[in-house]
Parts: sequence; C-alpha cells; structure tokens
Amino acid sequence: MKILVCISNVPDTTSKINFTDGDTKFDTNGVQFVINPNDEFGLTRAMWFKEKQGATVHVANVGGPTTEPTIRKALAIGADEAIRVNAEPTDGFFVAQQLAEVVKNGGYDLVIAGRESIDYNGGMVPGILATLLDMNFVNTCISLEVDGNNATAMREIDGGKEKISTSLPLVIGGQKGLVEESDLRIPNMRGIMMARKKALNVIEPVDAAKATQDAKFEKPAAKGAVKLVDNVDDLINLLHNEAKAI
Amino acid sequence: MANQYVDIETLKFLLYKVQGLQDVLDQERYADYDRESVDLLLNSVKDFSDKELFPYFKEMDEKPAHFKDGEIVVHPQVTKYMKAGGEMGLIAGSFPYENGGMQLPAMVAHSSAFIQDAANNHMPGYIGLTVGAAELITHFANEALNDTYVPNMLTGQWGGTMCLTEPQAGSSLSDIVTSATPDGDHYKIHGQKIFISGGDYQGAENIVHLVLARIKGAPAGTKGISLFVVPKNRPTDGGLESNDVTTVADFQKMGQKGYCTTHLFFGDKEDCQGWLVGEANQGLKYMFLMMNGARIGVGRGAAAIATAAYQASLNYANERPQGRQLQSSGKKDANQEQTLIINHPDVRRMLLLQKAVSEGSLSLILLTAKYHDLSIASADADEREKYRLLLEIMTPVVKTYPSEMGKIAVDNGVQVLGGYGFCSDYILQQYLRDIRIFAIYEGTTGIQSQDLLGRKVTMDNGKALQLLSEEIQSSIKAAMAHESLAPYAKKLGGKLALTQEVLQSLMGFAMKGDYQRFLADATPFMEFFSNIVMAWLWLDIAREAQNALVTGSTENSTDFYESKIHTMEFYFKYELPKTTGLAEILMDKQALTLNTDKKVFA
Ligand SMILES: Cc1cc2nc3c(=O)[nH]c(=O)nc-3n(C[C@H](O)[C@H](O)[C@H](O)COP(=O)(O)OP(=O)(O)OC[C@H]3O[C@@H](n4cnc5c(N)ncnc54)[C@H](O)[C@@H]3O)c2cc1C
Repeated sequence: MKILVCISNVPDTTSKINFTDGDTKFDTNGVQFVINPNDEFGLTRAMWFKEKQGATVHVANVGGPTTEPTIRKALAIGADEAIRVNAEPTDGFFVAQQLAEVVKNGGYDLVIAGRESIDYNGGMVPGILATLLDMNFVNTCISLEVDGNNATAMREIDGGKEKISTSLPLVIGGQKGLVEESDLRIPNMRGIMMARKKALNVIEPVDAAKATQDAKFEKPAAKGAVKLVDNVDDLINLLHNEAKAI
Repeated sequence: MANQYVDIETLKFLLYKVQGLQDVLDQERYADYDRESVDLLLNSVKDFSDKELFPYFKEMDEKPAHFKDGEIVVHPQVTKYMKAGGEMGLIAGSFPYENGGMQLPAMVAHSSAFIQDAANNHMPGYIGLTVGAAELITHFANEALNDTYVPNMLTGQWGGTMCLTEPQAGSSLSDIVTSATPDGDHYKIHGQKIFISGGDYQGAENIVHLVLARIKGAPAGTKGISLFVVPKNRPTDGGLESNDVTTVADFQKMGQKGYCTTHLFFGDKEDCQGWLVGEANQGLKYMFLMMNGARIGVGRGAAAIATAAYQASLNYANERPQGRQLQSSGKKDANQEQTLIINHPDVRRMLLLQKAVSEGSLSLILLTAKYHDLSIASADADEREKYRLLLEIMTPVVKTYPSEMGKIAVDNGVQVLGGYGFCSDYILQQYLRDIRIFAIYEGTTGIQSQDLLGRKVTMDNGKALQLLSEEIQSSIKAAMAHESLAPYAKKLGGKLALTQEVLQSLMGFAMKGDYQRFLADATPFMEFFSNIVMAWLWLDIAREAQNALVTGSTENSTDFYESKIHTMEFYFKYELPKTTGLAEILMDKQALTLNTDKKVFA
C-alpha cells in the first residue's frame, strides 16, 4: 500500500497571533510552526500501517521553503519521502489542485489529509481532492483499517459514530481518534539524523486558480485583568451584569 | 501552575546568534548537524519535556523518594523517563559515533538538558549521572568493561552514579578510605559512600557505580586514589547476580526530593567486586577530567530553575492587580481600578533581576559549552589548547554564578508573589527549595572559588586569564562600534583594569608564600570576577540585539531585541557597580577571618 499524508504547516497554538497590511495578512514574525494536529493524527496512523502492514509513506505539503522544517519533522517521525509543492497555499481550491497532481503522479492507494487545518479552518482540501481524483472519500474519520483493497472507517457524527465500508483508492479527512494524543510520536535523535538524508523533492506548482479572497481578519477581544472576588454573590453579580454569561 | 517554564525563543537566540553555534557546526566532527536539525531536536525535547517531565514536577516534590524495605522508592516516572530518554537518544546523544552515540555538540546537548531541567529538575540527574559514569568508562576503561556496561547504560536500561563522598571525605577527597583489595582479575571493595545521587531505585535493572577507592598500600592523599566500576548487580554468563552493594538510607532533603540521595555500603558480606578503570592511583585525575562537563551541568540546572521561576513570577505579575500607580502629583487615586503589580517599579526591578540572572546564566553555559566543543573539535592544535584553557578558567564560574545568583533570583521570584510566594499552592517556593543544593554539590562555592583563584587564574603563568581578557577586550572593541553601547563597553573596560588591581593586591600574598591569606577571600573574589564576566556576556547579548535592530532582522520581534538591550542596561546599573564594593573588600589588608586566636564567636 502506498500512502500519501498531506500535511499543512500551521502556527503553534501557543504563538502570539498578529495581523499586518490592514488586518488582511497574518504576521509570521517570531511564530513557531508545527504539523497541523489533524494531519499528525493521520501521519501517526500511517506509521502504524508502515510498521504493521509494510506500507510506504510519503508526505506532501504545498508551501514555500520555510515549511521545510515541518516536513523534516514528518520525515524524522518516520515517513519515507517528502514532496513540497513550491507555492504559497493561497486557498483550499488551489491546494487541493496541487495535491491532486501529486497523487496522480505518485499512484497512491490511500490519501490521508486532516479534516481541517487549525489556522484557517477551511476544511475544504480533502473533499475537493477526492472529487478531483474521483476517489472514495470519508471525512471526519476517527478510525481506519485496511485489509487488501477493502477499508473500514469510522466517522464522527452528531451524538454518535458511523461505520463505513469502502475500498481503495480512498481519501480521508482525518482527526483525533485515528490515533490518540498519547500515540503521537516525538522524533528521536536518530530519526532526526536520518531525516536529513531522506529525499525531500521540491516540485513546481501546476496552473491553478484560487477561488476565494481574504477580506479582513478580526482577533477576539483582548482578555481583561483578573478580578478577585470575595464571595459567591459578587461572583454571580459580575457574571450576570458584567460578563453577561448567566 | 503556570505552564510556561522555559523561553525557547531566547534559548535559540543565545544559542545561534549570541554564542554562534555555527562556529561549532563548521567543525568536521559535527558535519552531520545543521541548524534545521538542531531546531528540530530542541523542539522535540520541548515536546518530550511537556509530556514526560513537567506534569510530574510538583508531584515528585510532594511524594519524595524514600527508603522502604531495603530499597529506594522513587516516583514511577523515573524508570519511564530513563527508558524514554534512552529511546529519544538523550543518553547516547553526546557520545562519539564509535560508542553508539550521535556525536552531538555540547552546546546542543546542554541546550536540550536545559529544557528538561527547567521542566522538572528532579529528573535529568538520573540521566546526567548515567552519562557521566558511561563517559568515564569510554574514556579510561578497557574494552571488556566498555562492552559489558556501556551499551545498556546508553539505552537507559542501566543507571550510573558517581561515588566520591564519604562521611569524613566531602570537600576533602584526599581523606577517602573505601578500600580495594586485589582478588584475581578484579578487586574486593569495602567501604561506604554517602549522598550518592541516583544511587538506587526500584525498577532499575542495574546501577553501575563509579567508585573512588584506595588500593591497599597506596600512597596517602589524592595520589593514592583509584577509580573502579562497581555494579549493583554483576553480569555473569547466566545473567545478573547481586554484587553486595547495600542501600541503607535515602537522605530526606529540603528540595530535589524526587532525585534520590542514597547512603550505600559496599562489601558488607565481603563479596563486592570492583574492576579498575585505567591505571591504579589515577582515579581522581580521571574524575576531574570529566568534571568540566558535570560542572557546566550543575550551573545549567540552576540557570534552568531560575528561568522557570522567572517565567512563573512574570506570569503572576501580569495577572495580579494590587495598589495603584503613583501619579506625578505623588498621590494615588483610590477610585481608580487597581493596577497590575508588573506596573510597580519595585516589582519590575525584581523581574528584571531574574531576567538578567537567568538569561545571562544561560548565555554563560552556552559559551562554556562552546569552549568545550572547540577544545575537542577545532582542526588546529593551538586553537584546541586555547579553548581548553578558556574552558578551565570558566568552569568554576559556570558552576557557581548560576547557583549563587540563581537562588537570589528565585528568592526575588517568591517576593514578586507576595504571600502566595510562600504558599504551597504556588510553585515558586518549590523552585527556591530546589535551587539551594546547586551551590553545594559537585564542589561547594567555597571550593570552586579556591579553584578559580588558586589554580585557574594562575595556571600556565596566567595564560587562561590572559586569553579570557583578550576575549573580553575584543567584545568591548566590537561594542564600541555602536554609539549606544559605547558607554557600557567603556565601563566594562574599566572593570577589567580594576580586576588587574585586585589581582595584584591578592598576588602579593601568594608571592610572599602566604597562601592562606591569598585564598581567604576566594569567595568574594568569585563574586567579583563572575559579576564582571556576566557584564561581558550581557554586552555581547545587547550587541547582537542591536545588530539585529540595525539590520532589520525579522527573526525575532523588535520588542524582543529591545528587551535584551534593556536588560543589559539594567545589569550595568544594578549589578556591575557591586564590584566596586567587592574590590574594596578584596584589597583591604585586614585579615579578619584568619584570626583563630581571638574568641570571635564567644
Ligand atoms: C543532594 C546531594 C547530592 C549529592 N550527590 C553526590 C553524588 O552523587 N556523589 C558524590 O560523591 N557526592 C554527592 N554529594 C556530596 C557533595 O558533593 C558534598 O556534600 C559536597 O562536596 C560537600 O561536602 P560535605 O557535605 O562533606 O561538606 P564539607 O566538606 O564538610 O563542607 C562544609 C563547609 O565547609 C566548607 N569547606 C570545607 N572544606 C573547606 C576548605 N578546604 N576550604 C574552605 N572551605 C571549606 C565548605 O565549602 C562548606 O561550606 C551530594 C550531596 C547532596 C547534599
């Protein structure tokens, strides 16, 4: 089985977020970037397929050269090879079109993307990708087993779970549940050293248009100073009248 | 509990920019590393520390290691950490490739350990001592001992310790009496060791003790001490069998309670076997050759605790409203909302002191680690010798400054929290208790100070000191290029001249053969000397920040760079002037502490 894990390069949630250019552009200065958590669950599941079922795992990212440390991390965790499509990921349509090209050329049986990235939360890529490739598609996927050409997946649905039988080739939009947080792997030193020697192929993007424009970003209101209250009545009063939470 | 215990951005700025890791990576020995891989490694260690270390920090204090039924019970996370650390490569990391290591530069290994220390200082010692013990074996022991012990130590399956201290031999190792009697291919070991960190713990398959002992008939004093590998369980064809090493107690302490401190008996039943490392009577020499790394490690631990305490108190100061700011009229408006305590000048002073001490100490550790790397890896033999001497003179300073000033910094952190600082619900009090040991073990401040003044300053006719002052002079020259830094550079130049004066005055006693007087004030001299060294390091930090501002570097924010310059200014205003008073003390001819006739303690 040949697996492609699509990884998005996103800011660490502990980073301070600022915008520039009249609040239309995200300021990346001093921001730490990581593998998108939904993709990391998928990558970890892919490592399981590699170790237990002998799968080959490649990772792909659409992004400029600054995303390479994130891609190297995926290689250090254990992916065999990486592809970087050398273009800014301007929107979900654009990214999906680039990834579709990578999948077509690589002949993958299983494409694991994240349900959504935690920066822009677009949630579009896996669906568009499956459509462009005419592959089966399972979104919000919380478990995945593959036996030969058959796949069994579990989806999270409102108030419950849905079990699906399908077949390869398949695209999934994965999330927590594919593996648990405690299963996530921290690259060890040997993995990091080996990652330096693994192939990271940079390819140029195909012609593709973006379909959306960012008009404006707004940050949530700033957090005020902490107020210490002496008794429950004061607390209720504040929650009711000031915070309007109750 | 605040969950930000380390400032990775500052760590990386100091590592890459201020102390120039690239100079080390340019050496052939480290050709397999680049900045990207080092970055990835540090991020991994941070993730690892978030997961395996920090969550257990408070718990290890609340449930101390203790002695029960002949064994030491430690927090269950200890064995997990040893195994996970082995898998991560944290133990093998800095060993050469031929020993199964990753040949990591010391600068990177210490950066990685710094993150772990800051997350939970009760834990990294278990790995640190295993590394130290395995290093002694790889450097000085024969192949058979290497093959038998090192592989299992590097995976974390077996722990390691350093057994120097005995009840009557702490600072004075020449008084060691543990004995070694030849018995075929090995020696029979008999004696006791106290205060042995990581000496025994439940779940460890084996512990490999590196023991200083005296072979029967060896000369008295330090010249008759040899080094032995003495495992808790000795390997036989059929597996492991007990080697008559008995744990009799675990010392209960004010801090680092999760890091066990054991009392061990060797050969209670006359069946304890030890294997000689290298040559007889060379034990102390071997031990001290390995000490530089261990001493950087102790300073690093203290710097890390000071860092974590600073983060926690800064966090508190940003959230605690109390009082109102004075208006220009000198009045306070009681109707105004309370201000955050971070807005009070006195609180800012305490925070800035912590920042100056913790970040300055980290820079000191990275610089010393760099000397260590270049003393091994420089292509040129003269360069290697130069860095060896610089490492020698900096070693007592890197052990002592973070330990001594770190505890003052953490004390200020407690003060920032007011009453809550004293309460167990807040973590500051634990940092204060934990940091206290650093000025004691691995050679007390008194002993380090004598090493600095009595040996390092004078070694090779003052060559090490001369090289260090050349380094400082070249920083001063470089800082002069920035108009805004020139006044500080000049001030530092003046302090170098003052150092000369102080040393001339002290050397007078040594010339006359009055060594007791020469060394009587070694500790105030350490304080004086390390204060000036730190001013140098802060000037370098400020220069790098100023360069970044001038060239418009966007690697860090403008606020970040300006805060570094501001902290340098703080150091030069609040800390450096203390050297004037210290110089006065050091040059005063009165010898008040030498007089043992007068009943001064009557
Ligand atoms: C928690 C902990 C962990 C430890 N871990 C280890 C370990 O793993 N392995 C190990 O071998 N040891 C270990 N030690 C022992 C430690 O290194 C010693 O405690 C330390 O070296 C001081 O020795 P001492 O306690 O006997 O004090 P002493 O030597 O009695 O010193 C008492 C005081 O006298 C001063 N003093 C002593 N001699 C002189 C002198 N000549 N000139 C001026 N002042 C002097 C000292 O500076 C100190 O202030 C540990 C100790 C502790 C508390």
